[in-house]
Amino acid sequence: MSPTELKKLSLVVLGLILLPVVLSWGGLTYSTAVECVVLALAGLALNILLGYTGLVSFGHGAWFGIGGYAMGILQLRVFEGSTWLPLVSAIFIVAAISVVVGFLVLRRRGVYFSLLTLAFGALCFAVAYRWTALTGGENGLGGIERYPVLGLNLDNGHTLYAFVAVIALIIVTFLLRLSNSPFGHVLTAIRENEQRTQFIGFNVKSYKLLAFVISATITGLAGALGVLSHRIASAESMSLAFSGELLAIALIGGMRSFSGPIFGALFYILFREYLSMYTDNWLLYFGLIFVFFILVTPQGLVWIGSRLYRAVIPEKTTSAAMGQRVIPTDPDFFPTFLLSDTSPQLECKDITKSFGGIKAVAGVNLKVAGKGVHALIGPNGAGKTSLFNLISGMFSADTGSVRLAQHNLAGETANRICTKGLSRSFQITNLFKGLSVRGNLELAVLARDPNRFSLTKRLETLPKTQSQTDELVRYLGVQGMEGALAEDLSYGGQRLVDMGLALGSAPHILLLDEPLAGLAAAERDRIGKLIRRLGDRIGVLLVEHDVDRVFSMADKITVMNQGEVLIEGDAQTVRTDARVREIYIGSGSQALAAKVVASKLTDEYVLSVSDLNAFYGKSHILSDISFQARKGEVIAVLGRNGAGKSTLLKSLLGLARLGSGVIGIANHKISTPVPEIMARLGVAFVPQGRRLFPGLTVRDNLMLGRLKRSGKGSNGWSDEQIFDVFPRLKERYLVDASLLSGGEQQMVAIARALAGHVQVLLLDEPFEGLSPAMTEEVFNAILALKTKVTILIVDHNLDLALAISDTAVVLDRGRISHQGSAYELLTDLEFRKEKLWI
Amino acid sequence: MPIELIFLFQQIVNGLLLGCYYLLIALGLSIIFSLGGIVNLAHGAFYAIGAYLVVTLTKHMDYGYAFVVSPIIVAILGMAIERLFLRRFYKSDPTLSLLFTFALSMIIEQSLRMIYGASPLAFAVPKFAHGQLVVGDFFYPYYRVGMLGVAVLAVAGTWFLLNKTAFGKIVKAGINDPDMVRAMGISLSPIMTAVAGLGIGLAGLAGVLLAPITGVQPAMGQEILTAAFVVVVIGGLGSFWGVVAAAILVGVIRGLTAYFYPPASEASLYLLMLLILILRPRGLLGERVERLE
Repeated sequence: MSPTELKKLSLVVLGLILLPVVLSWGGLTYSTAVECVVLALAGLALNILLGYTGLVSFGHGAWFGIGGYAMGILQLRVFEGSTWLPLVSAIFIVAAISVVVGFLVLRRRGVYFSLLTLAFGALCFAVAYRWTALTGGENGLGGIERYPVLGLNLDNGHTLYAFVAVIALIIVTFLLRLSNSPFGHVLTAIRENEQRTQFIGFNVKSYKLLAFVISATITGLAGALGVLSHRIASAESMSLAFSGELLAIALIGGMRSFSGPIFGALFYILFREYLSMYTDNWLLYFGLIFVFFILVTPQGLVWIGSRLYRAVIPEKTTSAAMGQRVIPTDPDFFPTFLLSDTSPQLECKDITKSFGGIKAVAGVNLKVAGKGVHALIGPNGAGKTSLFNLISGMFSADTGSVRLAQHNLAGETANRICTKGLSRSFQITNLFKGLSVRGNLELAVLARDPNRFSLTKRLETLPKTQSQTDELVRYLGVQGMEGALAEDLSYGGQRLVDMGLALGSAPHILLLDEPLAGLAAAERDRIGKLIRRLGDRIGVLLVEHDVDRVFSMADKITVMNQGEVLIEGDAQTVRTDARVREIYIGSGSQALAAKVVASKLTDEYVLSVSDLNAFYGKSHILSDISFQARKGEVIAVLGRNGAGKSTLLKSLLGLARLGSGVIGIANHKISTPVPEIMARLGVAFVPQGRRLFPGLTVRDNLMLGRLKRSGKGSNGWSDEQIFDVFPRLKERYLVDASLLSGGEQQMVAIARALAGHVQVLLLDEPFEGLSPAMTEEVFNAILALKTKVTILIVDHNLDLALAISDTAVVLDRGRISHQGSAYELLTDLEFRKEKLWI
Repeated sequence: MPIELIFLFQQIVNGLLLGCYYLLIALGLSIIFSLGGIVNLAHGAFYAIGAYLVVTLTKHMDYGYAFVVSPIIVAILGMAIERLFLRRFYKSDPTLSLLFTFALSMIIEQSLRMIYGASPLAFAVPKFAHGQLVVGDFFYPYYRVGMLGVAVLAVAGTWFLLNKTAFGKIVKAGINDPDMVRAMGISLSPIMTAVAGLGIGLAGLAGVLLAPITGVQPAMGQEILTAAFVVVVIGGLGSFWGVVAAAILVGVIRGLTAYFYPPASEASLYLLMLLILILRPRGLLGERVERLE
């Protein structure tokens, strides 16, 4: 037992001794003290689900009631004359029922879980209320006696209190240890991020089920003790109202702290006892207090208490930022648990996956060696992340097989795949945000510890997990910031921890999804080297948009395009391959160049952007962007994946968070754009992936586009004008938009934008996923808009984007790196290479 | 026709009627949930407010006026609650909104208890609706026939509003892609308020209709609320026809168990839910929606 555990337990002992004394000074009886302890037990048990695992159970009263009825019925019918036997049997009965119920309700998560527990509670209430022969119905089940236990006369109020208090102490000791155990830590991980818990190798379902059973069983025990004290079991305890009161007890006390529900129960009892002396409506005031806590301090009484304590005795300030980090002195250090004799090969055969009719991955064959850095590159939408998701078990493939050494991974759950030696990082940082850096890494390591399910050991005393976590901390170079919360780290720090989580699983094959995205230059170097060294020991499959770095560090490169593997080879082969160059920088097609119409532009500016900075989470995506667009001008916004092109379009509309900067539309200057206002001012958006409103017809989509953007002075197009440019839409007018082909959807998306007032049209990847014929049709339609509206176009098909545009703006890592004539970039391929390739 | 058969038929019609009330409540729950992601546990409490309002107002005005005014007052109350509180919880952790709406239901129930007392209020069927409809051997009270009509009209009206009007189209689009709706210059905030008003107003209407049948007492919301949740779970949250089918199914099955084995009439509903849940975890017509999982 650790010193903090001993300290907490001695406080609990002290509290249990003082409780009846203090209550009796206040004129309350021993049976009130018993009730307080019983409610505290039930609250603590409920909090295993609510506070630790993040599951809101609205039917916990049912367990309280089942425990009570089981106690009563068994004593009256089976174990006559005994207190001990029915009490113990009741516990087992509740446990058995909760296994079955838990198995069913845990099939659903989130809100549905709450609804199902609520319905379960209502079912139990209905049964208890109606099955008079068994439960005594609305009169309750009376005649329960407190027969002596071990010679103790429980009819004496003091003895009963002592009996209940001792049981409570045992339970609290168990729960306290549980909260420090590997099991308890995994529950917290599930609350923070269930998906990632699974991806680092935990069988989330078993943990949730065990948590559910423990929680239900202890609540049932509390119910049985309550019945022993009252000598009657009633259906009231199964009502929704009582379940809600238990939730209130946990929340008001503080659901994030171990002792919260204890204080919550005490608060509830005192509130009820004293207020009910003055008013019958004490529950109304209790409800108001409940609402107050939910709205103002959902952290509860314990939090308020610690704030008050801190106000008197200030906390020693310890800053745990990246600044405190100690860079490892030994660059050759490598965690021992990552060294393995075998280097199994990952082999994907003919993997296919379609999402809603679009083939994201089409017949991919891929072999990843057990050692080396294997890079996967390709334009946006090539299917790289989808392939990762299929390999790592997030989705299952429609066809094909995935094998790691002799294991077949296809169709396995993510945690099984992780256990077999394949782990992954995520493109969008996917951490246990509310846990410390060490807490995060510890979990990943713990998943391989045979004690990972232990309820009785403390996590900090597991030698293997602790020493391996130390190694991981040292390897990643995060010493000194281990105590910082993951959510407080810089973006770079979070990316690092994300990779650390994948490494903690000791993979043979590691999938890294854009590990360098959004990092500062020095960090990119350091992490790049770290990945390179990893590749000397294990197999690394890497998706990365920093093509220069990929070429310099990868042993093997696979290029994907439109869901298929285009080419595979070493850096030299890929770099010089004409097809690869074409998908990245295009071919400089002369035929397109011939279509170019030089537009005569006036000096009237309709869009001006100055010093724009934008963020995604903690990542700084756009830095100091300034440019202007004249009336009727078409600007191509170019740059590699992740350069910030889409973010630029979204921040003009107010859909991305703007750090600073001013956007000028016609005569308006806006520094805090709000989408609906910007749209009405004339910023019309055609998003990547179309995003039409499914379930609505083409007509309705156009109607919604026009509805609020067609006031006075609007230049929005009528349906007739739309049909002139997109004659196909006339035939499709009454068809559900989600049933259209990709090209038709794109036309609707453009038409929807044009149907309202337009000053600037934003086109994000208008040619993505279109067949060549469709591409041409959409291209010609956009060409027809030229000089009529100002357009900002982003597309990875540079030839098309440049052919339409007057001006090109090139972004590199969030900054404008080049700005000039589009024609030059279109025709002079060498110049284009210089500005946009390596 | 043999008397048993007529009895059975009557129970089925009773079940249908019950299904219609479940539907009024469940539909409101479902649309508020679809747009804002909030499961309104206080929905039953608004149903109770509707019932108390009609009882109180008929003392001061004609039943006909009270019948129209009461649901509207409940709807306005719902809109105020949405403006003041519910909108804080959109897109946030559903735990707090569940607890909040639960606490709200507790406050409403206790307030009703404080104002009107704990014992049921008597409320008779209005005079003009006395009497029975007789078709051959089958007879059925006029009031219930009328209620069935009003409930069907309300559901049809809701369907029309959601499917045939610009308002409904914005709601539909907003459920799928709120950001794109805003990018079309359409502000969703007044829409959210209107949806809360509509959903809660429907609950109020159900309360008004049921007041003379079930009796008016403070806890009346709780029972119908859990039944409505069962309907929603069976039908699939957010699915109009799923909820309609589930409400009728639940109503009829309850009507039948009430006839054949009365003690199990409540339990039958939950057992049905369990069964559906094992066979079809997402409900009859439910689709996979990421934020519910």
